[in-house]
Amino acid sequence: MYMSEKSKQIVDACRFCWMCRHICPVGNATGQERNTSRARALALSLVNRDGAKMTPDVIDNIYECQMCGGCTKDCATGWDPIVFTKDVRLNLALNGETPDYINAIIDKVLETGNAYGVTELDKDLAAAIAAHAAVTDTVLFLGAEARYNVPAAAVNAIKALEKANVKFTVLADEPASGAALDWLIGAADETKKQMADCAAALNGFATVIAFDPQDAKAFVREYKEYGVELNGVVTYTAFVAALIKDGKLAVKNTGAKVVYQDPYQLARDLEETDDARAIISACAELNEMLLNKKDTMWAGGSIMAIYNPLVTDLVAKERWTNAINVGADTIVTASVSEYASLKKNAPEGKKVIAIEELILAAAK
Amino acid sequence: MVCNEFLTDIILTELEDAVGRENCSTREIDKITHGVDYFWLSRMWADRGKRMPEADFIVSPKNAEETSKVLKIANYYKIPVTTWGGGGGTQGGAIPVAGGILLDTKRMNQIYDVNTESLYIECGCGAIYKHIEWAANEVGYATMHYPSSLTCSTVGGFLAHRGIGVVSTKYGKIDDMVLKMEVVLPNGDIIETSPAPKHAAGPDLNQIFIGSEGTLGVITKAQIRIFAQPEERRFRAFLFQDMHGAFEASRELLQKFKPSVMRLYDEAETASLIKKIVGVERKGAFMNIAYEGCKEMVEVEEKILLDTFKKYGAEDLGSEYGEKWWKEKITFFYPGHMMDLPQMFGTMDTIAPYDKIEKIYWAMKKAIETNFPNVKFIAHFSHWYEWGAMVYDRFIVDKEFVPEDPHEALRLHQQIWNTGVRTAIANGGVVNDHHGVGIKLGRLMKEQYGPAMQVFEGIKKQLDPNGIMNPFKLGL
Repeated sequence: MYMSEKSKQIVDACRFCWMCRHICPVGNATGQERNTSRARALALSLVNRDGAKMTPDVIDNIYECQMCGGCTKDCATGWDPIVFTKDVRLNLALNGETPDYINAIIDKVLETGNAYGVTELDKDLAAAIAAHAAVTDTVLFLGAEARYNVPAAAVNAIKALEKANVKFTVLADEPASGAALDWLIGAADETKKQMADCAAALNGFATVIAFDPQDAKAFVREYKEYGVELNGVVTYTAFVAALIKDGKLAVKNTGAKVVYQDPYQLARDLEETDDARAIISACAELNEMLLNKKDTMWAGGSIMAIYNPLVTDLVAKERWTNAINVGADTIVTASVSEYASLKKNAPEGKKVIAIEELILAAAK
Repeated sequence: MVCNEFLTDIILTELEDAVGRENCSTREIDKITHGVDYFWLSRMWADRGKRMPEADFIVSPKNAEETSKVLKIANYYKIPVTTWGGGGGTQGGAIPVAGGILLDTKRMNQIYDVNTESLYIECGCGAIYKHIEWAANEVGYATMHYPSSLTCSTVGGFLAHRGIGVVSTKYGKIDDMVLKMEVVLPNGDIIETSPAPKHAAGPDLNQIFIGSEGTLGVITKAQIRIFAQPEERRFRAFLFQDMHGAFEASRELLQKFKPSVMRLYDEAETASLIKKIVGVERKGAFMNIAYEGCKEMVEVEEKILLDTFKKYGAEDLGSEYGEKWWKEKITFFYPGHMMDLPQMFGTMDTIAPYDKIEKIYWAMKKAIETNFPNVKFIAHFSHWYEWGAMVYDRFIVDKEFVPEDPHEALRLHQQIWNTGVRTAIANGGVVNDHHGVGIKLGRLMKEQYGPAMQVFEGIKKQLDPNGIMNPFKLGL
């Protein structure tokens, strides 16, 4: 068994329909027919009808989707290809059919809490975290991506809050949020356990500031779906926007001309598009590029960058094209993984700035 | 040719050398997903759990040069080549029925030039049409080519089968929207059509390749027209007592000005789709008109429209229904709104001058409903000219009347199509208006063209002597 009856219903709706092709970041970047929701559904519908086997090719295609939800948002009928993609990932894991390159990442997440298998924190980050060891009523949850892949982002996130004299705690032994496992294997027991453990560590705080949009999405959406209670969650962008609005964080407009890359988790899953814009507009001159707010296009990075870097690089380059088409030299991001991807693939003379970096540059 | 494991590997490495290893596949997932297009028969085949004919190699060239290399290899080994854009065609034109090489154009998606002086976009033919629409919109223009498959089909796909969009009456069909093209011939030569689309330098090369459905070469690049965004676009819906009055009114209107949208629905479609999507619950023939351009012109056109239609007894339903239709114009085609399996269905669109089109509609309706009592027939007329109009007639067979056995389902499907299209041809219509021919209607091309078919066959024989390009399509 590879999917529920609900997933089969969605597969049978999507298997002949390409209406969302134009919005798929992976399909647009690779130009490969298989990188569409329709192609994935067609192959799975044949598996469901004994017309095809769940071969390694078909399985690989399940992991060529970022599950960004662009197709779901675009569907006039409301079909959600993420449901069957995630469901199949779960069942592949339960059947012991997960590909080796995915299993290797799962093992790292289970052993170390991060997809990179890193156990030591960056020295600067460790020091910045240590300065906030004292328990307060607010915790800044940095997330594995920032702590182990882009530690400078985590350091800047802490510094930006310090500028506003916010009293907050950062956990030295921050647990995994479960977001990575959820992306890899869906609602497995291991995922739910990580989420429950994380919630236990965070539930003593009145406010949980989620720095990484992927963690924020998990806290607000998947925790609730899986029955894990966690209260007081606020995104980093919403928290900082409120600080600026309330006059607790003073910034000056640097006049820099920028566009903003909406993280799909904030824009589509959490319906948050204005807070980052409020921050950026206070610090710089904001322009809009094609596919913004809920229509945003994923800009690469994330776990897929570990096992499919060529594809995520192509995705980032596509997004740079959108920025360049409106004359932008600078993209501001609020997603750690998209920041890494856009930076790696920045054309000459173009730069990407993380939103916490922009705040620090503009702070009075 | 004899294709054994050794020779297959040899050919594969040559193709990898031409397009790069990562752009050449023999993977099952790629074969499956290029085997089923939007043709009802291919979808039914998959629905029954059966595998469609599949390509042996899937290649994705980046440009004309790589395409040329692929065609040279194919010609040497005499391997069939089927070109695939978005796969959204309804006629089976992109299905690799003879195996061989499947040439996917989507990596040829570059936008080379958005030229606001001469008003065109030069792009690779693998570009999704919606993407060039976005590129036009970013500089304040529009492509004005809005078919239901706008978001999923490619520039090359529309050119290959002579597609059309919903504002065609004012802005034209895809064959009116091309300035110039780059084409790779079956022997690998890369050619360009004339620098301008209107000339007296012999026959029009553009029009030889547009509609050729990959049988004469591969279109790799095109200059596609863009238009200024209209200052104003207004809608007006009408209800006619019968279709004859609507035809008379529309014919007269088109002698005065060209609306962008003109859609007349027969009583059956008014009572079904229009009721469901637009919310009009009235007996009669619903018609939606849009007119656009400079505000002053739109004012004048509106007066002409209202005066003309009033003469023919049309009831003015105001602008609301038309605006709703415009908003939902693509919604009609999403799963859950569109006909879908287990139903059998098809669109037998045809076109004819005014003195024949109404007769064709009634003759097709009678032929289908008489010969196939369990088949529903609905239609609308949605692309209009000064001299005639297109009828978008559809048949629908509900689940209980569709054989479960795929071979029997195929047989019934072909019988319905033969009956409908032969009736259209017998009454002065054309095999197809804007979906193309593919494998679905290839057999009927000779019935329509008679000895004129030798012109197409002669061009085919000269350009593709080995017959490798999209075999069994277009009747060639």
